[in-house]
Amino acid sequence: MRTQGFQSAPLTPRQHPWATSKKLIGRNEWEKRLNDVNIRKEDTNRLVMNFLVTEGYVEAAEKFRMESGTDPDIDLATILDRMAVKKAVQSGNVEEAIEKVNDLNPEILDTNPQLSFHLQQQRLIELIRNGKIEEALEFAQEELAPRGEENQAFLEDLEKTVALLAFEDVSKCPVGDLLDVSQRLKTASEINAAILTSQSHEKDPKLPSLLKMLIWAQNQLDEKAFYPRITNLSTASLENPAV
Amino acid sequence: MEEASLSLSLSTTTNTNTNDLIANYYLQQWRLKSKSAAAKFESMGFPEPQFLTQIDEDEEDDKEELPSELDTLNSSGGFSIVGPDKLSVRYPSVNHHGHDVGVVQANRPAPSKRLVYYFEMYVENAGAKGQVAIGFTTPGFRLRRQPGWELNSYGYHGDDGLLYRGQAKGETFGPVYSTGDTVGGGINYASQELFFTKNGAVVGAVFKDVKGPLFPTVAVHSQHEVVNVNFGKKPFVFDLKAYEAQERAKQNSTIEKLSIPQNASYGIVRSYLQHYGYEDTLKTFDVESRSTLPPISFVQENGFTEDMNTYSLNQRKVLRQLIRSGQIGDAIGKLKDWFPQIVQDGASAICFLLHCQNFIELVRDCAALLAYELPQKSSVGYLLGDSQREIIADAVNAMVLSTNPSVKDSRECLHSRLDRLLRQLSACFLEKRSLNGDQGEGFHLHRILNSGRKG
Repeated sequence: MRTQGFQSAPLTPRQHPWATSKKLIGRNEWEKRLNDVNIRKEDTNRLVMNFLVTEGYVEAAEKFRMESGTDPDIDLATILDRMAVKKAVQSGNVEEAIEKVNDLNPEILDTNPQLSFHLQQQRLIELIRNGKIEEALEFAQEELAPRGEENQAFLEDLEKTVALLAFEDVSKCPVGDLLDVSQRLKTASEINAAILTSQSHEKDPKLPSLLKMLIWAQNQLDEKAFYPRITNLSTASLENPAV
Repeated sequence: MEEASLSLSLSTTTNTNTNDLIANYYLQQWRLKSKSAAAKFESMGFPEPQFLTQIDEDEEDDKEELPSELDTLNSSGGFSIVGPDKLSVRYPSVNHHGHDVGVVQANRPAPSKRLVYYFEMYVENAGAKGQVAIGFTTPGFRLRRQPGWELNSYGYHGDDGLLYRGQAKGETFGPVYSTGDTVGGGINYASQELFFTKNGAVVGAVFKDVKGPLFPTVAVHSQHEVVNVNFGKKPFVFDLKAYEAQERAKQNSTIEKLSIPQNASYGIVRSYLQHYGYEDTLKTFDVESRSTLPPISFVQENGFTEDMNTYSLNQRKVLRQLIRSGQIGDAIGKLKDWFPQIVQDGASAICFLLHCQNFIELVRDCAALLAYELPQKSSVGYLLGDSQREIIADAVNAMVLSTNPSVKDSRECLHSRLDRLLRQLSACFLEKRSLNGDQGEGFHLHRILNSGRKG
């Protein structure tokens, strides 16, 4: 079974034990140090809550608040609104999403021309997907072309999208992946982030950054020492040092 | 059920030692928390319970002494006079040569267990020749030579704007500075550089080759020169916080570019909920995940692990609820029903913990009866923090996990996967710092959790 969590750092010539004078820290010593680290339950609870809240697991966050006594650092009600917008985009209901996000905070789209354009682009994609070709062309001309004039990047995206119309068989179209659901997800993520930012909340959960920090810290330490590593994030198991 | 309890009791004898390991670990945590909380509680004047969380926050900081004033023990023999507040220096006479500089160091070297250290000097009077200087010097520096003129010292001089580092010839560096200017000197441990500022703006930086302790240093060298020093008691002219934020952002952007397996966080959160017995949350989380996009395709790394973590999930949930609400007696009762082997030895560490907490809960009830205004104000108030109950709840949770016959090493029951990852992170940071001459920041989860909060 292919394991998801596998990360390996191939031994470079520099890392071969006989070629360096790197410090060796044995398993027992390292485990003692791990035990001495002070990680508070309150903090790990907060990390988990931060994940649930930022990723939009509203009900799970509410349950976690009750079971652990951890305070969500954001009003849970605002999450519901945000999730509704996100879901609308994910289901292809872009107009509904635009309406909802404007209800939430009209400034979000006003201050975010790129997001605004991507939403309109998604609308165009949905029209094409549903075979409403004439409507699509009209929409592209009236709504998107003017924006394309303002901005070179927008123009390129617009041209790519319109290219979908040129192919009878979309699977042969080089930009056919625009019709893929992953495009909806991209736009949904974008709008989710914009809402979070407008609510003065960080748009990303902290946990993934900490995992990256762990990889970084181990990479840095690898240059100077041999020690028990955690290579598989999913199992978090220690591996004895290579020596 | 019968069979299960038979096999459990057989394995109890072999497990006793390792079970003590778990209970003793939490006992230690509980004791530590009580001790420090009690001391801080008294020194804070018996605060309300909502302030109890602040008691923990100070413990994290790497305790290092900071320079606070100018040193008057070592002196440049009459070539400098330090003011009574020990934050100003003046040159008393007329200079004649290069060995009658009035140099003063701070009373302590710059702390190194941090990202950046910084201090400032205000030129009150540039005197006859404006030969003032700011810099860093090592212990034992000859205090009659400008910082930078001797090996292992650095100085940014006001009269020529040059940087001197270890020789009499300086390098082009920054602007000159004189009366009314504020200059600053800083050590950036991340980039291993020394940097200097003038009136709030960085003028330049150099690589720090000196690895040992460095003293913030100021110097005066001509008639009537006076400088004032600021080690942080007053706000700096330079925006140090912005500089630090910039450094951290640089580091963070390198880190963000790394990639992690998709859904790694999802798996860790799920495992956390299972480990600590947050059953309701877990169930809701699973339902909500099914309707997310992109669909979470989570492959259990190890079917065995799944089994271990959902072991007695419901019972652990109930036990945690009881303990969190202070119903220790009921929790003990449930343990006797469900996992008698845990509490059968009345002298065990876990029983001691449970009975202590029970006692505290009873005292609190009595205190209420005895009409203290608020039970928390009594001297045992410190013990009523939720965090005490949390420790007990976690201890019981770990003990129950360890009764799972599939568990090979009960140490696995101690920490969740998230916990282990964070510990590894911290240990790596500490070792890296230690190998770097004890310079740089450690890993502070609390600080990271509090960062990025805007309004």
